Amino acid sequence: MSELPEYVFDRVFDAPREMVWRAWTDPNILQRWYGPGVETTIHKFDLKPGGMWLNEMKWGGNSNYQKVVFKEVTQPSKLVWHHYSSTDADWNNAPNPNMPDWPALLLTTVTLEEVGDKTNVRLSQVPMDAPDAEITCFAAAMGNMSKGWGSGYAILDEIFAELQAAQGGK
Amino acid sequence: MEQISYTNPQSDLNAIFAALADPTRRAILSRLAQGQASVNEIASPFKMSQPAVSRHLKVLERAGLIERDVDQQRRPAKLKAEKMAMAVDWLTDFKAFWGKSFDQLDDVLASMKQAQMKETNNE
Repeated sequence: MSELPEYVFDRVFDAPREMVWRAWTDPNILQRWYGPGVETTIHKFDLKPGGMWLNEMKWGGNSNYQKVVFKEVTQPSKLVWHHYSSTDADWNNAPNPNMPDWPALLLTTVTLEEVGDKTNVRLSQVPMDAPDAEITCFAAAMGNMSKGWGSGYAILDEIFAELQAAQGGK
Repeated sequence: MEQISYTNPQSDLNAIFAALADPTRRAILSRLAQGQASVNEIASPFKMSQPAVSRHLKVLERAGLIERDVDQQRRPAKLKAEKMAMAVDWLTDFKAFWGKSFDQLDDVLASMKQAQMKETNNE
């Protein structure tokens, strides 16, 4: 596969860039919002190239661990890191228990751009050093693969609509 | 009751998506959503040979989307929706990760702004 799938998420926040930068780079603030509806604990946060962010997310009695190694820290506009999607409790890289073909390593870039008195945050994730299976899995999940069979979501939506129709028809 | 299963014990998203990529296999799943069916029963609306249908069933079975009963000679195929639901849940969680986190960041920024305003007023 020649082209790497990229996940891009843009969002404008109603806050000045310095404040958004702080929310991303002060671990006490970061752990308040990072992770949807989970309890996030940041065990280590060393904000410099080569420094690590060790992150634990708890939900439903389980803990998930991720490791981040910062590559670029340019206040107040850019963060680049290597995101190890799954580690064990000792922060050694481990296969993802839920999705074995999920990319083990994602190159993550966060760009903060001033839009008037607001701030646009662009998050980008691209698989790194990934075998084809991981790239395919990521592309499928992101639903942005232009070639091949297109969005996995559309397919699943269709299937679920059919299943629900079949069940409702009983 | 024993089931033949080629199912990967881990939910493999790749296998599931690959299985769902084919319109015939989606149609087979829709048929099975109405109840279990034998290869013969599945093959009839598709103008397809039984071996061809069997190959499709094998792909669905490997992905863990269906199972086949070995006790009965006609080995009816049956839908296993929970596998699909698992994959969808997981995907939905991932898709929601940044969206929901950013909603939370919105709230955090709002409270940071409020705290800053209070400070400024107190000065």
